[in-house]
Amino acid sequence: MSVATLSVTALLPLQSVGITPLEASLFVFVLITAVLTALFRDVLASIVVFAAYSLGLAVLYTFYRAPDVGLTEAAIGAGVTTVFLLLTIAKTTRPATDARFEAINWPAVGICGLFVLVVGVTLPAFPAVGDPASPILANADVTGYYLANAYDETGAENAVTAVLAAYRGFDTFGEAIVVFAAGIASLLVLGREVFTA
Amino acid sequence: MSSDRLDSTNDDTGVARQRPIYSESQVIMTTVKAVIPFVLTYGLFITFHGTSSPGGGFQGGALIASVVLMIAFAFGIESTRKWLSNTLVVVLATLGVAIFAGIALVPMLLGANFLEYTAYYPLLGDALGLKRYEFVKYGMEAVEIGGIAFIVAGVLMGLFFALAAGMTPTSETNTVGDDVGTNASDNTSDADDATDGGDRP
Repeated sequence: MSVATLSVTALLPLQSVGITPLEASLFVFVLITAVLTALFRDVLASIVVFAAYSLGLAVLYTFYRAPDVGLTEAAIGAGVTTVFLLLTIAKTTRPATDARFEAINWPAVGICGLFVLVVGVTLPAFPAVGDPASPILANADVTGYYLANAYDETGAENAVTAVLAAYRGFDTFGEAIVVFAAGIASLLVLGREVFTA
Repeated sequence: MSSDRLDSTNDDTGVARQRPIYSESQVIMTTVKAVIPFVLTYGLFITFHGTSSPGGGFQGGALIASVVLMIAFAFGIESTRKWLSNTLVVVLATLGVAIFAGIALVPMLLGANFLEYTAYYPLLGDALGLKRYEFVKYGMEAVEIGGIAFIVAGVLMGLFFALAAGMTPTSETNTVGDDVGTNASDNTSDADDATDGGDRP
């Protein structure tokens, strides 16, 4: 398929790229909550909307058959991060003004718009959602190997865990060490006087 | 400055309201009591079934930590930290790293590669009655449960307690944390009023 046909396909109604109305409405929900997070003047409202944004993303990931990522987004993004942010603003004070929204910073909007434009230009190069001719399915060296052999070689029904803990176990070990090191460093910085273990 | 209450209005400094950090709420406490067993079970399920269903140590560990966060929100952060000591939280995370590193490094001692689970087969195969390929599955389970879940739960709980430190009025430790004290119940409400305002960092 030539680039021209692909770009035409991408501009057609959403059905042709494999996005159902439900997914489209989820996209809109995520987009609106993201914009509202930036716009709300009250930080508490921002945090609540941000949690809704994470929840929308989690549902979206689940729609795209990535329940592992969806679970992580729901637990970390919507749950724990919200709690941490709430704890942080509890130490701050509210601004006295009654304005509901932040004044819009137009230069920032321009830069964000440019960024969206640049990313949007690359969209036609992507295959449609679930397209069997997409490179990841048609030319699946690594993915295909995992899908074909993960169960026989590791006995794990969840291929994601097989990749994380067996095939790429060294990476996971590094990630775990990073989480541990970052956590311990934050504890040292945040709470010398209260967190004397 | 007449801000002797947390929610007092002070227009001079542009400060409108400060929210009280912890207020004992019957609704929240009851809800948390009802929800906690299910969340904890779900977290353990996700952790233990990482190899056969979506999820794993990271997600399960976060859920288990969120149980502690909910308890702290409902029953007071300071008393929860006393219940789960700081040492325990740090030891949990460190133990996770130690278990992960141990499982990963022992195969190297046996002459195999880093994290090569099947290297345990000649050692433990007969004792545990497992086949060679099953060592990969249970090795992954061990890493997920004993390694990642411990690290994530420990770090999240530690961060939570560190972030929340210094925000709880001292009166709360009198009412909830030190119930074993001799006469903690006679002047709790008075202490609440007296110490709320001056306790901010």
